Amino acid sequence: MSEVLNVQQGMAAGAVHHDGHHHHETFVSKYIFSQDHKTIAKQFLITGIIWAIIGGLFSVLFRLQLGYPEQSFPILETFFGNWAKGGQIQPEFYYALVTMHGTVLVFFVLTAGLSGTFANFLIPLQVGARDMASPFLNMLSYWFFFLASVIMLSSLFISTGPASGGWTIYPPLSALGEASSGSKLGMDFWLVSMAMFIVSSLLGGINYISTILNLRTKGMSMTRLPLTIWALFFTAVLGVLSFPVLLSGAILLLFDRNLGTSFFLSDIVVNGQILPNEGGSAILFQHLFWFLGHPEVYIILLPAMGMVSEILSVNSRKPIFGYMAMLGSLFAITILAFLVWAHHMFVTGLNPFLGSIFVLLTLLIAVPSAIKVFNWLTTLWRGNIRFTPATLFAIGFVSLFISGGLTGIFLGNSTIDIHLHDTMFVVAHFHIVMGVASMFGMFAGIYHWFPKMFGRYLNNTLGYLHFWVTIIGAYLIFWPMHYQGLAGIPRRYLDKRGWVSFNQFPELDKMITIVSIVVFAVQLMFVFNFIYSIFKGRKVTNKNPWGANTLEWTTPLRPGHGNWEGEIPEVHRWAYDYGKDGREFIPQVEEIGEGESKH
Amino acid sequence: MATTTVHQTKWWSGGKSPFNMEYGKLMMWYFLMSDAFTFGAFLISYGSIRFSQNFWPDPNVVFNAFPGAGHANLPLAFVSVMTFILIISSVTMVLAVHAGHKGDKEGVIKWMFWTIIGGLAFLGCQAWEWHHLITGEHAVLVDGKIDLIGQTMGGNPWGDLVEDNTALTAALNNTSHETLVHLAHEYPTGGTVVAMEALEKMSDGQLAGMVDITHAHIRETGPIAFGGYFYGITGFHGFHVFSGVVINIIMLIMTQKDVFKNRGHYLMIEKAGLYWHFVDLVWVFVFLCFYLI
Amino acid sequence: MQHPAFEEVTVHHHHEDDATFKKKVRKTTILLSIITIIELAIGLTIYTIHKGESPNALLVLMFKGAVCILTLAKAYYIVSVFMHLGDEIRNMIMTIVVPLMLFVWFIIAFIADGNSYKNLRNTYDKHFEETTMPAKHHKAEAAPVENKGGKE
Repeated sequence: MSEVLNVQQGMAAGAVHHDGHHHHETFVSKYIFSQDHKTIAKQFLITGIIWAIIGGLFSVLFRLQLGYPEQSFPILETFFGNWAKGGQIQPEFYYALVTMHGTVLVFFVLTAGLSGTFANFLIPLQVGARDMASPFLNMLSYWFFFLASVIMLSSLFISTGPASGGWTIYPPLSALGEASSGSKLGMDFWLVSMAMFIVSSLLGGINYISTILNLRTKGMSMTRLPLTIWALFFTAVLGVLSFPVLLSGAILLLFDRNLGTSFFLSDIVVNGQILPNEGGSAILFQHLFWFLGHPEVYIILLPAMGMVSEILSVNSRKPIFGYMAMLGSLFAITILAFLVWAHHMFVTGLNPFLGSIFVLLTLLIAVPSAIKVFNWLTTLWRGNIRFTPATLFAIGFVSLFISGGLTGIFLGNSTIDIHLHDTMFVVAHFHIVMGVASMFGMFAGIYHWFPKMFGRYLNNTLGYLHFWVTIIGAYLIFWPMHYQGLAGIPRRYLDKRGWVSFNQFPELDKMITIVSIVVFAVQLMFVFNFIYSIFKGRKVTNKNPWGANTLEWTTPLRPGHGNWEGEIPEVHRWAYDYGKDGREFIPQVEEIGEGESKH
Repeated sequence: MATTTVHQTKWWSGGKSPFNMEYGKLMMWYFLMSDAFTFGAFLISYGSIRFSQNFWPDPNVVFNAFPGAGHANLPLAFVSVMTFILIISSVTMVLAVHAGHKGDKEGVIKWMFWTIIGGLAFLGCQAWEWHHLITGEHAVLVDGKIDLIGQTMGGNPWGDLVEDNTALTAALNNTSHETLVHLAHEYPTGGTVVAMEALEKMSDGQLAGMVDITHAHIRETGPIAFGGYFYGITGFHGFHVFSGVVINIIMLIMTQKDVFKNRGHYLMIEKAGLYWHFVDLVWVFVFLCFYLI
Repeated sequence: MQHPAFEEVTVHHHHEDDATFKKKVRKTTILLSIITIIELAIGLTIYTIHKGESPNALLVLMFKGAVCILTLAKAYYIVSVFMHLGDEIRNMIMTIVVPLMLFVWFIIAFIADGNSYKNLRNTYDKHFEETTMPAKHHKAEAAPVENKGGKE
């Protein structure tokens, strides 16, 4: 194996390799503290899947409460004890569930699990590198994520419970231990875990950027990069520039909690006593949070967008429509993502003039988003589409991105947002456009690259079942929520029965709950498919099972550390020569033939 | 770098770094970029809070002490010493990196040594300044009485000057014995200093009459966030200086042990240098935000 | 010097000879020192203006603006000469400089909202205004006038 490493760019892949020792790989160095980007990708993926199950389970639990607030489920008491006294989900438990569902899904599943997995797996393979620029820091990136996971997971077992002030952890609720049981030790754990997570994403991010810039193989110019790589590149840029701002906010919040400072606190009365904290601004925290929080949405979305572009092109056997336009819109989205954060804060008392600038910038995002949607549709148009599960999930992504994107235009307007803020409409919007859509992108990626990852196929029949139940379920769950939101039903309410106007659709809530249980069960079926197929799936016999052009399909069936035996192939064309000159596909490594038409 | 080569090379065509820069240095640059956003977020939050206040202390009033100079009013003097220490240590770092380019081991050792000394000197200055601010107590009018408080995370003695002498005289009646003794000792009417022991035996009423209220410069309490941001940001910067010193010491030992000589290049020194200059760069902005404006 | 360990580095870095280098470093050091001294002088000027009878807010603001510009100049020299960014390829410089542009909107929005928060509180929270507005301002601005200057 190390012979492979010493060839060519293996030298550049990190100081660890140049010693030329033949190190024998033990179980620990191969599967645990591995520096191979492919193994690290799998570690991210499996940790992400575990988190997804936990986070999904949380949502089923609080859906039970929302659908059946009057009913008691004795089994819950068996499992959760006092948190579900008498089989009823207690308020503290409910808020902990909602908070942890958001935190886990946004950060641990859709950031680390999605971009951690696919950036690690695809960047070296698709740009033509032996490994990441620094495999060692890449390994550290995973282990910091693991540390963050352990801390977050252990916060679930604190007697006062995990953080429960919402995934946005707004002060003063999050800043005062007296405010709620979830604001006690659980909140400190949350902040420390997030600091570890930020270190992880930073180590990953600078590695991804440097690899894409520095370690492209010969001939792989920037405009020959697959769109996946571009999307992952911009994702890394977003992460590197926005996560530190949350780090600052988290540190200041830790100070407010433990050192008596007043960054975010002012004029607070607890039990009739005025706290000494004065002069802080709770809005400031929201600014800091959303300076990360909004780019975070795109950190989640962009990798999905990139993979969808690739998968749609490969499976419709057509070049991606408007490569440069796609690239330009990715760039525009990245820039705009940094400029629009305060559209989450229209009702905080934000200066209305400032708010209107944020409205303008927010609505601008519709332009690159629409360009991307049209390009996906035109890529599919008249294509010779192969409906693999990956293709279906990619098409599902486009569908969800349109549905959720349109409601974004509503919410981006401050005047409408004042009515819709903190209602179920918002929940519906962001779940469709960023939650479920990115999940679909992730599924598409898993189905598409599973053969490269594990040398076996996922079961197709289960894949189709997975897709259809999930897409129908997703719409059945989230579509009605728009109407609930328009009717003024707020989010985060434990029990709506006390209000006539909020208690308008109890039957709808029951339906949503039932569907979400079904959808969750189908996700478990996917996890079963995943684990089963790793060991027992149909074996891949063809190096290039999808007939794709990109470099990862030129590697051996089960590539070792270093990816290519012998030299790294040179690249002679872009990644999207499908259906050109009467040929189904022309891999990037093939030289431009004489008299070949231009794309 | 010769410009002709730059134009002839197809930098972006793959197989090479488009910036002609090894990945480690590139990663260091982007890490520093990220760190710039951490510091930026701190300083911008500070700005946001400052703009949301009606009153903010004048830095020249807060930072006017110098070690060994007692109560002399020397605004900006000490911090300018700190600033020059950092600038000079940056220069020695540049020289260390330059020596590294030439493969001059002795030069690297010499200049790294001075850089480390500079970093330690800076940290020492910061420790003194913090200590002085935290323990240096100032008379403040709070809730109708006079208290002595230092500059801490949760308290700020640098509010607006109280010019209402009747309010101050009234406040003296509610002030604790200890504080009165201190005030009468520091600011005696007529300027005749009475020994502490004698003052301690006097009654509160007597003491209140002995305090020269106009010279005591009694203030209201100031915005609490002032101290939090000051200690938070200079502390975070100090932590960077500290880790920079640790990195530099490691580099020094590695140089001493010929690690870089055997490797054939001193590029690690260059990366450590980038970090060190960044620390200096951040100080330039901390200096601006806390001491100058 | 050769860097055989890094294949991606294809053009050998050309380093100036000792004399030019030393001259450049000396020049930059002196420049940074002079700028710092000017900054300190302005800081002390602001101090004396503040001590005076009726401080001219506009003059103070202009001095503060000047210090900000001088600081940016210092930052430029540190990054360009000490960190050798000026010697890198143009595109490399751009990848550092362009993202820093985000600070423009970052600063404007945060500062503007901080200022707006103050105005809101002064308008609707009389207790806040009474307890935090410095006494001199109170007399000068008996009527609730918007505090345009922002800074104290």
